[in-house]
Amino acid sequence: MTAANVIAAANWPRLGLPRGVSDAGVALLVPLTLLGIWAASACFAWLPPQILPAPSEVWAAFLDMAQNGDLSRHVGISLLRVVEGFAAGSLAGLLLGLAMGLSPTVEDYVKPLFTGFAQVPTLGWIPFLMLLVGIGEPLKILVIAKAAFVPVTLNTLAGVRGVPSMYAEVGAIFRFTRWQVLRKIVLPASVPPIFAGLRYGLTHAWLALVAVELLASSEGLGYLLVWGRQMFWLDTVMVAMVLIGLVGFVLDRITAELEKRLQHWRIADGGEGQRA
Amino acid sequence: MIRLLAGLFLTMALTGAAHAADPVTIRIGFANVGVDNRQFSGGSAIATAHAEHYVEAELKDLPHVKVEWFFFKGAGPAVNEAFANGQLDFASQGDLPQVIARANGLKTRILAAGGAHAPMYLAVPPDSDIRSIADLRGRKVAIFRGTNNHLAAVKVLAAAGLTERDFQGINMDEASANAALVTRNIDAAFGNYGLLLLADKKLAKIVYTTKGDKPEFERQATLIAAETFVTAHPDLTQRVVTAIVKAAYWSSQEENREALFEIWSRSGREPSVYRADFADQPLRYRNSPIIDDFLIEQYRVQARQAKEYGLVRRDISVDGWFDTRFLDVSMKQLGWEKYWTRYGADGKPLGGS
Amino acid sequence: MTRRAVRGAVLPLLLLAVWEIVSKAGWADPRILPPLEQVARTAWHQATEEGLAYHLAASLFRDMAGFLIGATLGIAAGTALGLSRTADRLFTPSFNGLRQIAILAWIPLISIWFGVGEAAKIAFITAAAFVPVVLNTQEGIRSASTQLIEVARALTFTRWQMIARLYLPSALPSIATGVHLSLIYAWVASVGAEYFMTVGPGIGGLIIAGRERFQMDLVILGILILGLVGFLINFGASAVETLLSPGRPA
Repeated sequence: MTAANVIAAANWPRLGLPRGVSDAGVALLVPLTLLGIWAASACFAWLPPQILPAPSEVWAAFLDMAQNGDLSRHVGISLLRVVEGFAAGSLAGLLLGLAMGLSPTVEDYVKPLFTGFAQVPTLGWIPFLMLLVGIGEPLKILVIAKAAFVPVTLNTLAGVRGVPSMYAEVGAIFRFTRWQVLRKIVLPASVPPIFAGLRYGLTHAWLALVAVELLASSEGLGYLLVWGRQMFWLDTVMVAMVLIGLVGFVLDRITAELEKRLQHWRIADGGEGQRA
Repeated sequence: MIRLLAGLFLTMALTGAAHAADPVTIRIGFANVGVDNRQFSGGSAIATAHAEHYVEAELKDLPHVKVEWFFFKGAGPAVNEAFANGQLDFASQGDLPQVIARANGLKTRILAAGGAHAPMYLAVPPDSDIRSIADLRGRKVAIFRGTNNHLAAVKVLAAAGLTERDFQGINMDEASANAALVTRNIDAAFGNYGLLLLADKKLAKIVYTTKGDKPEFERQATLIAAETFVTAHPDLTQRVVTAIVKAAYWSSQEENREALFEIWSRSGREPSVYRADFADQPLRYRNSPIIDDFLIEQYRVQARQAKEYGLVRRDISVDGWFDTRFLDVSMKQLGWEKYWTRYGADGKPLGGS
Repeated sequence: MTRRAVRGAVLPLLLLAVWEIVSKAGWADPRILPPLEQVARTAWHQATEEGLAYHLAASLFRDMAGFLIGATLGIAAGTALGLSRTADRLFTPSFNGLRQIAILAWIPLISIWFGVGEAAKIAFITAAAFVPVVLNTQEGIRSASTQLIEVARALTFTRWQMIARLYLPSALPSIATGVHLSLIYAWVASVGAEYFMTVGPGIGGLIIAGRERFQMDLVILGILILGLVGFLINFGASAVETLLSPGRPA
């Protein structure tokens, strides 16, 4: 056995802390160390201040923005745009996904165009839409809607398709009407995949928001990034980045929680059980 | 033994010679770019120097020295990013981005004026109802943040009682602002040559200019250099400055006025654009390379006002920033010390020239 | 089968027809809705005189450079995180935190840190390509069958042999998925880099130029190329992924 194997096989003493606490502690080790190095670097000027502002400056910038209302204004407008765009895009996606899933004819007609449409990334659509609708709010909503539309459609389609045929047979036995089949069988069965699609859609919507605000905006978190970059305010840039990460995370967490609640609707067949 | 020593000597001599001929690339940048990304600039003696190869001519006898020219669509802020990463040695850049960089600790030296005393313009679509700065309230206005147009705009707005919060300011570079103005995606734009070009083509109208208004609304621009390059290559720095001074001399002579605008039109902007911008002003005034007390005082004011308007976070001292040694040597060498008027800190000409 | 193909072609053809009619009848601003032949003509002009191939090559080169660096680093990092519980506990939380920040939001920072030039763009693409590879590689390494590990231990494999002969091969399907995603992300990132960083040759630059000059035909051309390359990359990556995952449950 090599030394490495011996070391790997050895029993390392447990720290004796409850698992959760020691997990959190270890998780914070790297960020805290980096923070320390960052503060030291600013203190001793290892890097020029235009490349790395002191952590205290970033914090000060954050407080400043929070106090004068800028923060809530920018976060608010970004959230509003995402909500509006996401609502529009996912509604359209749900409808199209359902239509395609329920009717092979519709799918035959629409799928190729949809696939072509989906091939172009959101970033590519932005300049096109800019020329068409200008740079006001409609542009932002459209771009975000497009970003949400594609994954929601695909997942809704897959969800509807994924309903096992024996469920449909049960519906036939009970002589369900079309509408009843939809309401009592298809929709409940496809809720989990649809919800997964909604979750992807929201993630993409948030990403699209950042993209469109970077390109053409006068407020919002993406706008803060641009403004900070132009004025060489790295601290503002960092605050904006952290906020973007935070809001994106919170949005995702909320949808993840909702998804978990809907688990009991997931189809469990053949004893495979549910995926947590 | 003698052969060994001779060989050693020869090697040392050769390496010494090789060192003296280490290839150097001088990287000069402009905080603007021509129409459709043409690699030409206009409106300053430095632009003349580039277009007519003054710098290359000055370095003719040094074959190991090359010059590379860069044009930044991202204007002053992009030049700052390049300087911050040691990717640029000289630049023609405006006052606000220079002040911003200095506030951030960037080590630079201002060597000569280039494109100083320049006006700023506000343009709107031809049929717009906006008549003055005050009408901008609540409208969509393009403003290129971090450029010297930005600072001039902020001052002009303040004089009309407006702050940036009183309208929707959208950050756009010259090309985007032009396109947005033409398609009426925005209501107005602050800028300079790009807007004049649109006005020339009747695609927009200028409703306000700082020309003729208070002199403190003027935008300044200078030749700025990375401190590391100046200390490492003072000889090359001297040559660059001399080249700029020569270009400035040619660009200051009234008989060259039309030819000058022709040269600048290589940037894609019609000579009429420059003719309009320079109208009623002697070339000697606009293209002077002199760093006099007036310019230094202007920069002091820009720095103070930048902080006042919240554009920079700390106080900036302009002491030690201006390095006139190279300028003085060029002037003396070329005998042009009295050619350009020096202005005192109060804006009045010194020595009654 | 052909009936489906015919049906599928109906809407696109209809769309093109409507477009052509609207632009020809002059109902729309010709700058916003250029006639189809205009787009074709621009495409031809670009290809023959303005060096379209050069722009495409520049974009692809940047894309590949960033992708290769990012994917390689990703496989290495993912392997480390997958093998070492300690490394996982130390770094994964921070990585997940950083991952939350939308990739485009990194552009201003990368611009300030790397300045102008290709390095900044490639750094950005590398970051975009890195993320999916790390996650998928880590998952793949983790899910190596314990039975195989026991067999390897019994055969007294060294650490490196374990990695090379056991972990990596069994993680191959996951790594392939990660690489597939990485290719897509890298392509989108390279276009994004061209939008927001200094001008250089590239398809993204073409699209932006089209927007600035208000030439919709250029924008449409750029979008078509974007979509086509994206499709080809996706197609190729899927094919390779299937190749590397024989017998994997669908």
